[in-house]
Amino acid sequence: MVTTDIYKKEYDVIIVGGGATGAGTARDCALRGLSVLLVERNDYSTGATGRNHGLMHSGARYAVTDGESASECISENMILRRIARHCVEETDGLFITLPEDDLQYQQTFVEACQRAGIRADVIDPDEARRIEPAVNPELIGAVRVPDAAIDPFRLTVANLLDARLHGADTLNYHEVEGLVISQGHVEGVKLFNKLEGTHVEVRGRVVVNAAGIWGQRIAQQAGINISMFPARGALLIFGHRVNNMVINRCRKPANADILVPDDTVCVIGTTSDRIPIETVDDMRVTREEVDVLLKEGIKIAPSLATTRIIRAYAGVRPLVASDNDPSGRSISRGIVCLDHAKRDGLEGFITITGGKMMTYRLMGEIATNAVCAKLGNTAPCVTASQPLPGSEPDAPDQKDATKRYSFGQRAAIGRHGSLAARIEKDNDIDNALVCECEGVTVGEIKYAVHQLHVHNLVNLRRRTRVGMGTCQGKLCSCRAASLMGEFNGNVKAAQEDLAAFLDERWKGMRPVAWGDTLREAQLTSMIYEGLCGLDMAVNMEGKEDVQ
Amino acid sequence: MAERMQTCNLSENNFEQCTKCSICTTVCPVAAVTTDYPGPKQAGPDGERYRLKDPAYFDKALKLCLNCKRCEVACPSGVHIADIIQQARMRASEGKRASLRDTMLANTDLLGTVANLVAPVANTTLGLFPTKLVMHSVMAIDKHRTFPAYSRQKFTTWFKRHAAKEQDSYSQHVSYFHGCYVNYNFPKLGQDLVKILNAIGYGVHLLDKEQCCGVALIANGLYKQAKRQARTNIDNIRTSMNRDHRVVLTTSSSCTFNMRDEYPSMLGIDNADVRDNINLATRFIYNLVDEEKIKLIFKQNYKRRLAYHTACHMQRMGWQLYSIELLRMIPGMDLVELEQECCGISGTYGFKKENYERSQAIGSILFKSIEEAQVEAVTTDCETCKWQIEMSTGLPVENPISVLADALDVEATRRANGIK
Amino acid sequence: MRMDTVIMGGGLSGLACGISLAKRGKRVTIVASGQSTMFFNGGSMELLGCVNDKTVENPLEAIASLPESHPYHKVGVDRIASIAERVKLLFSDSGIDMTGSANANHWRITPMGIAKPAWLTLNDHLRIDDLNQLPAKRLALMCIRGYFDQPNSMLAEGLRNLGFEVDMIEFTTDDITALRRSPSEMRATSLAKHLVSNNALQRIADQFNNLAENADMVLMPSVFGQSDSSDFQTLQARTNKPLRLVATLPPSVAGMRMMKQLRHYFKMLGGTYLMGDTALSGTFDGDRLTSITTAKLADMPLKADNFVLATGSFISRGLKADFERVYEPILGVDVDADADPEQWTRFGVLQPQAYFGYGVATDNQLRCLKQGKPIQNLRAIGSVLSGHDAVKMGDGTGVSLLTAIAAADQIRENK
Repeated sequence: MVTTDIYKKEYDVIIVGGGATGAGTARDCALRGLSVLLVERNDYSTGATGRNHGLMHSGARYAVTDGESASECISENMILRRIARHCVEETDGLFITLPEDDLQYQQTFVEACQRAGIRADVIDPDEARRIEPAVNPELIGAVRVPDAAIDPFRLTVANLLDARLHGADTLNYHEVEGLVISQGHVEGVKLFNKLEGTHVEVRGRVVVNAAGIWGQRIAQQAGINISMFPARGALLIFGHRVNNMVINRCRKPANADILVPDDTVCVIGTTSDRIPIETVDDMRVTREEVDVLLKEGIKIAPSLATTRIIRAYAGVRPLVASDNDPSGRSISRGIVCLDHAKRDGLEGFITITGGKMMTYRLMGEIATNAVCAKLGNTAPCVTASQPLPGSEPDAPDQKDATKRYSFGQRAAIGRHGSLAARIEKDNDIDNALVCECEGVTVGEIKYAVHQLHVHNLVNLRRRTRVGMGTCQGKLCSCRAASLMGEFNGNVKAAQEDLAAFLDERWKGMRPVAWGDTLREAQLTSMIYEGLCGLDMAVNMEGKEDVQ
Repeated sequence: MAERMQTCNLSENNFEQCTKCSICTTVCPVAAVTTDYPGPKQAGPDGERYRLKDPAYFDKALKLCLNCKRCEVACPSGVHIADIIQQARMRASEGKRASLRDTMLANTDLLGTVANLVAPVANTTLGLFPTKLVMHSVMAIDKHRTFPAYSRQKFTTWFKRHAAKEQDSYSQHVSYFHGCYVNYNFPKLGQDLVKILNAIGYGVHLLDKEQCCGVALIANGLYKQAKRQARTNIDNIRTSMNRDHRVVLTTSSSCTFNMRDEYPSMLGIDNADVRDNINLATRFIYNLVDEEKIKLIFKQNYKRRLAYHTACHMQRMGWQLYSIELLRMIPGMDLVELEQECCGISGTYGFKKENYERSQAIGSILFKSIEEAQVEAVTTDCETCKWQIEMSTGLPVENPISVLADALDVEATRRANGIK
Repeated sequence: MRMDTVIMGGGLSGLACGISLAKRGKRVTIVASGQSTMFFNGGSMELLGCVNDKTVENPLEAIASLPESHPYHKVGVDRIASIAERVKLLFSDSGIDMTGSANANHWRITPMGIAKPAWLTLNDHLRIDDLNQLPAKRLALMCIRGYFDQPNSMLAEGLRNLGFEVDMIEFTTDDITALRRSPSEMRATSLAKHLVSNNALQRIADQFNNLAENADMVLMPSVFGQSDSSDFQTLQARTNKPLRLVATLPPSVAGMRMMKQLRHYFKMLGGTYLMGDTALSGTFDGDRLTSITTAKLADMPLKADNFVLATGSFISRGLKADFERVYEPILGVDVDADADPEQWTRFGVLQPQAYFGYGVATDNQLRCLKQGKPIQNLRAIGSVLSGHDAVKMGDGTGVSLLTAIAAADQIRENK
């Protein structure tokens, strides 16, 4: 639909925030027959959704400290395995005890898991070394749990796709500037279209604030105070998978104690630091954070000491203080759903926050229940049973060795599940690889640009993994930029987009720029500045980060 | 632990040192002639990241890799690209049986033992057109191929009858790993080596036991057998070194490369204690001359114009300069060093029907440069390159040791080195 | 094995130095750890393109104003002009046809259509001497269908900004279509390998003659000539318009060809080129280097009277950086680099990055310093040297070539 037509409509519900929670809420609302608009100020999944481990918790990590969260996790974990197969890799996880840890804790941990309904099998350290050779061989205890890896970008896109299939509209690069309030009722949102530079109002009967840590600002626009405590976590991505199972430390949650195999890479994290709310947009990782992550990460898998790091990134968890304790000392990691009619006397406004990426569906269900209650909709929630697009029971499997897929096709099935069938592959040009590290073809780029709301290379990366390999887009980004320039006919923009993309890649590389990652960076500069002169064509000064 | 953090980047075969610069793709002889092969970067480090995630990402087209290692020589980042590809093939082939054809081609010593016994018949039979057609259609061995002629007498038989006895009379000693080619096809090369080494005061001995080095077994996926033979060879080389204090010399670049480098990387055979004692004869002799331990005296009025072809595995070892420098010591030698290009045979690869055309296409650049060099013969350290170049250019191909033996004034050399 | 000179590094600098010495009858061995960064070259050499954000018009003049730490000062500012002439000779002796002048930069056209100052450019590549006097009015930009290493629309836009009229014309031939069957291997270099037969070139010329009727000049990506310029000349002879090439994204055919030609010339002069070997360490005797050990030659070290370090920057592994330090990995000679890793880089990918200026420390004779003292017979040349910035100053190839010749001169003079 044309954007200006969207502006004219009046929706049952407007959802603010294009992360997993917003997307899950949009899907749920749409499946229940509501008319839905989702707005996102940047690209989808640019906030905390795209900046975590990609870990599908079994809940074991929270079992000892927060039984309720643990139960939520294991029940959502089982649901996601069914409905989001193409976003999930069933790896299982280990909780290991090292000589410096207290082995007594293992028993406490296992009992807590059992209470929460999480399968937790104590295994022999030898067995742990056998099933996961990357694990620190000095471990003295291990517990196997149903952890898994999940791709949050794919998950979010699949939810948005399904929402759209059921009539929802979604707009990225639309920032909420304020709420339309009339006589104690929220009646819509004031939007700034960042791509066109225009301001508009769109009307909706209920507005759901699903903006994560940025939800505090949204609420402020309605004169409402929510005390959020941003907790920043930094993570490191290594160039390949050293482990094939999730590895956790079996102790009270602390810094850098989870190593997750994500697609072709693995990720160690996180640090955890309270930061002032004003700094939540600065996601640059510091050397101190890298230092902590490495030192702790090496204890989980010693080979990390000599494995190439391809980038560092950070995200911010939206922790919410309970209303009777604004100091933030008793902070919940659980889901918080605030009906501002009850809480603040403002009708038509709901905030859904807290929680975790992997409980996004449940958060969507809770928020949708609240919306439906206001609108008198009684349709039941089906998101727990209905597979996401791409994950239908008969969807092809990238791991099916009996099928003779090309590299690009196999990788595309891994990324898009059954939707990979929509990718053109009937001629040599569509089958040509653009990104050779990650197996992204011309056809897949066309599909992403035309059907997955891609406006720039960074969007394209999130939808397809273009430029996410070890070279961080050195050769493919120019090919992709040039293709996109041809699709949308704006060459100057394509060059600026290319520079912005390289800059975004560099942001993650710079904190770990030594060894082969520095070599890679130098080669990138030699190609794009030395050979091509991109720096002479593009003025980056004063440019905002393209998210 | 902390102070040793991130001082280096270790990964299996250095696959993660790859900067995706694509230089390897520019030297791959296979990708240059067929679009069916994804190229060394894609087949190697790129594919490896995905194969680590799931073995289903293995691509059957990887069997088109020649294992010529040119990608590794060109790589500015030290990535063992061909090793990555070969090991992926090895993993994928686990539990699968090799075809009769591959088994036959790979068992060069078995084939040789039988053929030696019936050499005239074998040479005729293998050369006959009907036989070739049967091999072409039933065995899938290309009909254009001429099987190398088999000698009537094995090298080892000759050695025991005519040379073994006098070897103890020398003051210094080496062992000789002759390999299948010298033993079954071309004993003269072994005889040439004995002649040269004796002239400079070295007695030559066979290993207690020697089996085919297994280069063809590895290429054809017969890893178990290759491992067995590798163990035998390394054990016997070890005995030569520890019991007899003799280094082991070879005259084949492929056997040398295989035993030094492929045994540990492809077969997981630990050869660290003996690796430095497996040496190519030209390198050994060059070093003696260089350190002024021996003198070589050459025939007067010797005049030849030859082209030196660097075999791919020789290039990978980086030892071609020893053969070249040794040949350049010969007065009257006009040696053209050919630009390094693959000849296309790659051991048994080019013998297979499905590879024949590709094999010849790969070699065409080399054949053209040989033609342009206008030489009377070609010299190279690899026997399979020899077959390919002889078949494709019609020029004779000699091992540098044979060239040297031919040019050497044996009596004068013996005198110069104080040998009676 | 004993040599007159052993050069570590077989890229542009190492080869230029090796040729210079071999030409005078010296026994030279080059140890080349794989192919070089010439694979990313755009068909031009640069002496000096930019100083303090200002485009340089006359490199010779601008060189004098460079800071003392710049390698050109170690070449000797008064000698730059004559050495630059000798580089041109070295190229033409090697069969490389380039044009340009050290006291007047011309413009090369980048794959993105941007004009960058250059010193020498291959004669078959598009070169603009004066932006006010373009070599043609109307260009036919021939775009190969399915070839993605040439950002055609960016190139066309850039050329239009320079004042050309540009027709973008897509074309293909059977040979090219067949090559595109490979999802990954359609590179400039693979095109150059396939487009060599007279028939293949004729099919391309036919397309040009049909499609580019209205143009004054035909422009196409540099995908011809893997070993010399004969394929280009064949194509030009069959095309009824002047034909020019423009650089592609890597791998660069022009760079590969130049390296081949230089290597060939070096070998013809009797030089030994050890491709795929790596220098690992050296043995010192007081203030002299006596031998180096390489990975492949192993227990037979290379001895020589003189040594040259031409191992390149980080990308070529001539310099290494780890979590804590920057160092020279083979001989452990001194480097000029910031001790604090925070200073190596900065955010902003197109900002100047300090690490580009890092390199080995030398005295004014290009002799490497070790613990502050010069090693008498060890010189550093090219990108491994500190004090310049190939990307921001446009002096990379110039430093490589000029320091190479200067070092060769010093080695001879010191005899």
